[in-house]
Amino acid sequence: MSVVDFSDPATIAFLAAALQAAGVDGIEIIQPGRTLRIVTGRDAPGADPLVQILQSTSCAAKPDKVSAPMAGVFSSHHPASSAPPSQPPLKVAAGETLGFIGIGSILLPVKAVKPGVMTRRVAEDGSVVGYGDPLFEFEPRP
Amino acid sequence: MIEIVDTGPLNTIQDLGRPGYRDIGVTASGAMDPLALKIANLLVGNDQGAAAIEVQTFPFRLRLRETTVFAVTGGANAKIDGVVLPPWWTQTCDAGQVLELLPSPLAARAYVAFAGGVDVPIVMGSRSTSLRGAFGGIEGRALQKGDTLLLGEPIATVLPADGLGVVPPASALAEFFPVAADNTLLIRALPAGEHDLFGADGERFWSQSWKISSQSDRTGYRLSGEPVRPTAPVEMRSYGIVPGVVQVPPGGEPIVQMSDANTAGGYPKIAGVLDADLWRLGQARIGSRLRFVRSSHAEARTLDKVIAAYVEDVRNTAQMVGRALETMAGPKPAVRKGKNQ
Repeated sequence: MSVVDFSDPATIAFLAAALQAAGVDGIEIIQPGRTLRIVTGRDAPGADPLVQILQSTSCAAKPDKVSAPMAGVFSSHHPASSAPPSQPPLKVAAGETLGFIGIGSILLPVKAVKPGVMTRRVAEDGSVVGYGDPLFEFEPRP
Repeated sequence: MIEIVDTGPLNTIQDLGRPGYRDIGVTASGAMDPLALKIANLLVGNDQGAAAIEVQTFPFRLRLRETTVFAVTGGANAKIDGVVLPPWWTQTCDAGQVLELLPSPLAARAYVAFAGGVDVPIVMGSRSTSLRGAFGGIEGRALQKGDTLLLGEPIATVLPADGLGVVPPASALAEFFPVAADNTLLIRALPAGEHDLFGADGERFWSQSWKISSQSDRTGYRLSGEPVRPTAPVEMRSYGIVPGVVQVPPGGEPIVQMSDANTAGGYPKIAGVLDADLWRLGQARIGSRLRFVRSSHAEARTLDKVIAAYVEDVRNTAQMVGRALETMAGPKPAVRKGKNQ
């Protein structure tokens, strides 16, 4: 499987040209740790499109996302647990399991990679999520 | 190698047992919940019938002497160095880490499987401990504090080191394995040879609920409730017994034969529990209640297929998920290592 590098200027230029040709105002592509936003100026044809790349780095204090390790059905709690999951904000340790992705009878853990506070659940319980889809908002706190 | 740090009595090494020797009086033994044993083995990449530890008394603690892939299924609350593991889960742990099992309110027995399986001598085709026969497992006895167990050579798998689990069968197959609203376990059974000799009491056997008495173990469960008796005394020749046979001794309170069942007996048999429901009985706790539900051969076949499909789905999907994660992660150094490396 190939992963497109959306920080590559050539890729951005290609996307911007494609957007302008299609008459689309803009596009936002969210990847784990990076958001690319391209806004084309419809009122000023020929003008350079506005390109923003938001990079979240490990030491950033701004909200982080915990994303799906694989496509499947999201659940914020284990199917055998009867207690409802605690509501955010939740202080979590590195490696703590925040939820699960169900693929058939198999459950994959969604883990916090660093200590911090889980501030919001983004995905609904029972919803189908794709690889890399954001599941939680997370503020890293050392 | 693993080391038993702490164990209650009667925790043993079990696989799927040694059927085929009942004719010479050898009890089959084997896991009380064979489904949990199979899933634990599949999660660590073993053949489904590899030997594992059956834990039925707690607390139970073991220390890993090397990096080891293990899985815990069945009824237990498991912790690794104090960190709670989800139920029915596999993970890789490092040398020195301690796995602790505490009892679960939901189920009676836990299974701990290791990549490569527990390596004890095979006796009559099985590594299962026969406590009554004093052979199999470790010298035919239960595990003791300080025991060390060798593991077999792990089969290379691609299961993620980050851990992975299954939806437990009680949840995944809930529609096929019902529990009454008051939590009474519903156990499907077929009427057996002497059922009709019980007359009206034979019908009450099905309608009333039975409590699993404290005189219950791997050999059999003694049930307590209002006694059922044949309309006239029954004299019988001894006959062969398999797990699931429900006998009624003169006292009128039934006995369900379990994994360490005697090979022959002479009490009238009123019913036989479906194989597909034995794993649930194996997980039923002393003091809990059950009711027998009259079933059919057709339902027995359907339930066997449902269980087989679940096991097959776990086997295939676990491997598929492991391969997909490995592909997405790209090349990486091997994290697994065998004991000789």
